[in-house]
Amino acid sequence: MSIKRSLKQGMACFAAALLASCTGGETEPDPDKLVIYSSRHYDSDYALYKAFEEAKGVTVEVIEADGDLLIERVRADGASNPPDVIITVDSGRLWRADQEGLFAPAESEFLNERIPASMRHADGHWYGLSSRARVIVYARDRVDADALAGYESLADPAFEGRVCARSSGNIYNISLLAALIDRWGETRAQDWASKVAANFARAPQGGDSDQIRAVAAGECDVALVNHYYFARMARSEEDDVSGLAVFWPEASPGVHVNISGAGVASGARNPELALSFIEFAASDEGQRLFPELTNEYPAVTSVSYSNDVLDAMGKFTADPLSGSVIGGNQELAQRVFDRAGWP
Amino acid sequence: MLGALLAAVFGLPLLALLVLAASGSGEYLAHIASTRLTEFSRSSALLAILSGAVAAIIGVSCAWIVTRFEFAGRKLFEWLLILPLAMPGYVAAYSWYALTAPGSRLEQLIGIDLPTVSGIAGAAFIFAFTLYPYVFLLARNSLEAHGRLSWDVARSLGAGPWQAFAKVGLPLIWPAVAAGTALVAMEVLADYGVADFLGVSTLTVGIVRAWSSFGDPAAAAQIAVILLFGALIFLGVERGARGRRQFVSGEAEGLQSARTPLSGANSLAAILVCVIPITLGLVAPAANLAWLAIETQPARSIMAAVQGTALLATTSGLLAIIIGLTAAFALRSGRPAATAAIRFVQAGYAVPGAVAAIAILAALVVIQAGVNWMTGGAILTITGGSIFALLFAYQARFAAVAILPCESALGKVRRELDEAARNLGATPRQVLARIHVPLAASGVATAGLLVGIEVMKELPATMILRPFDLETLAVAAHNYASDERLAQAALPALVLLAICVPATAALNLLRPNA
Repeated sequence: MSIKRSLKQGMACFAAALLASCTGGETEPDPDKLVIYSSRHYDSDYALYKAFEEAKGVTVEVIEADGDLLIERVRADGASNPPDVIITVDSGRLWRADQEGLFAPAESEFLNERIPASMRHADGHWYGLSSRARVIVYARDRVDADALAGYESLADPAFEGRVCARSSGNIYNISLLAALIDRWGETRAQDWASKVAANFARAPQGGDSDQIRAVAAGECDVALVNHYYFARMARSEEDDVSGLAVFWPEASPGVHVNISGAGVASGARNPELALSFIEFAASDEGQRLFPELTNEYPAVTSVSYSNDVLDAMGKFTADPLSGSVIGGNQELAQRVFDRAGWP
Repeated sequence: MLGALLAAVFGLPLLALLVLAASGSGEYLAHIASTRLTEFSRSSALLAILSGAVAAIIGVSCAWIVTRFEFAGRKLFEWLLILPLAMPGYVAAYSWYALTAPGSRLEQLIGIDLPTVSGIAGAAFIFAFTLYPYVFLLARNSLEAHGRLSWDVARSLGAGPWQAFAKVGLPLIWPAVAAGTALVAMEVLADYGVADFLGVSTLTVGIVRAWSSFGDPAAAAQIAVILLFGALIFLGVERGARGRRQFVSGEAEGLQSARTPLSGANSLAAILVCVIPITLGLVAPAANLAWLAIETQPARSIMAAVQGTALLATTSGLLAIIIGLTAAFALRSGRPAATAAIRFVQAGYAVPGAVAAIAILAALVVIQAGVNWMTGGAILTITGGSIFALLFAYQARFAAVAILPCESALGKVRRELDEAARNLGATPRQVLARIHVPLAASGVATAGLLVGIEVMKELPATMILRPFDLETLAVAAHNYASDERLAQAALPALVLLAICVPATAALNLLRPNA
């Protein structure tokens, strides 16, 4: 493309954008347009939007932003650009968005039947679509799996200087600690966090994949990560994680899982279309995209899918703790982390 | 008057920030004060000082070498040295971390355990080598403007080269060095992406946590105000460093003597000093990305993102010129109120983009209500999701980048020239058109380009405020990188570089005497 032409296109685009912002405001809702605010940006989601567009003959408009930005944006000007569906990662965030009044109740027998009660809001404000498990990845040659019991093992003095984890500002760590506070109480949870921090092989840095790579490189022996990063690395050619294994910290009441979910937005212009999108995402066709493209566990357990790595990782029991407890404890969890000295 | 107007418009987000901060309970602040506030503040200050100092050393030495000496490739290095400015800090951080993490491909390739780029030292390394061009640009322009007569005189009076540099060269360019270093420090204070990824607990990390973990924008605003005071201190130090010194160099351009030719080992040393920052700031991290991009199948087309980025950058660059000039003229008027107002606007540069965006969103909601009330209905949408809000946010955030070069450009237009022209019967408008514009043009265009480049790299405000259908390269790269898919992020990041690099190179064409 010539510079001149792209410049022209740019100008046209700018004019169009200005025009759009000037004529915005209260326009007639387009019954064939679904506006989605999402804090996810995965291939499975794009495949889902596309499949929905084709199945229903509608257009899907997506705005993506990280979880908290998304909530703030909906709160600040949801009135002029109302979303129909809001999708976010982490049950605590779903709870928070609900506290802000962002979701409208939407009853669906189909969804109630398919999605387990622990993965959806009691009054249909939001529905879980997929989950990720917070697991311990360990080096097979340096760690005996029998030495691992649950999350408490990370605080074991035997692992001094051998643990890797990312920083405490990360939502996955916060939600895990929020769940542990409910499980153990604040005092024991803080004791755990400070002992884990004392066991760190290095100051927290990078993301979950970087913790897994550090175990593979021998910088640490165990790491606290989400299962789906491990599955992704196991399926890619760039990373060699063959010397590592996943340990399910199942000790009662189960492995902490992080839920991604969707809800019909309050003030949605097309609430029925919005609900039909969520139902589509919970259908067999929609659900299998999550494990196959993103290595997440589908919310609907009966769905069949093909993913060798997930199959090889085996089955586990998930902690059925409700999102409202996790969400309600998140602030406390960050305080506990701050006090425990987990950077 | 102009200054007051400017401050009113662009100070509004800062005002909104103060109001937001005041609306909070202070409970989080109390918690953080008893746990981590000291660490946050110390890390921020240390990181800003360390990055600024290293950037200043790199920038000044390179500027000195390319303006004072002649060696093979000097002309090429003059513009290559600016290019690392095109590299967004977060991209450099991701790339360098991947290169130096234990067991990385690079370590396997060369068989040496490299120190991992992480922590305060790692972050300072990233900032110093991607931001030093601010110092380099301003120092070089200043060195060229002052010619080398004073240096030659110092040398002929028996001063050694180091003595001449320390006693004559450095004091002359000191205001430019201070301004460049202040820009570096403010950008470091506002950063979130690099500090978070490399594990440095800065105030900005605390700000984002206040918001993400506590869901408390008011608490975030409170820490942002602390940061703002920090930035004002840096600006104050910069003004102090600049002092009241105004060097009037009486040299005519023809009097500039030639550069000292270097040969042999000295020439090699000069080349090495120039190659290192370019390699560490741009070439190495970009090469790593290119390697990843070649191996990876792109997931989605990035054409829309390219268009969005180009659109935002050009529009913002043009707006920045208008605003920068207005502010510079207001500053030139010398009225204390105007000066204070503009310094306040400049400090906005140190407000993290995410916080600035929230404050702007809050401010715009109020303005929108006013507009609706006046027009009797919503005929004009200026709140989030409109391109208006985003363009406004960029100007508010990057006002410092626009104002500093304009100010320094107008600084060259000495008052005596105005007076002489007026005495010769020129109208104020003629003075503007015949004297101010030609003399200041290069500095003004520099302001536009710098803001355009900043806008291309900007992330948080773009994510929060952009219209639904506006994709940008920075957002595309971030989305993949935040999901720890660096290989997928590589392509949009590289295309972003491919646009930023020529824009940055153009900065070189705009310097005085070029």
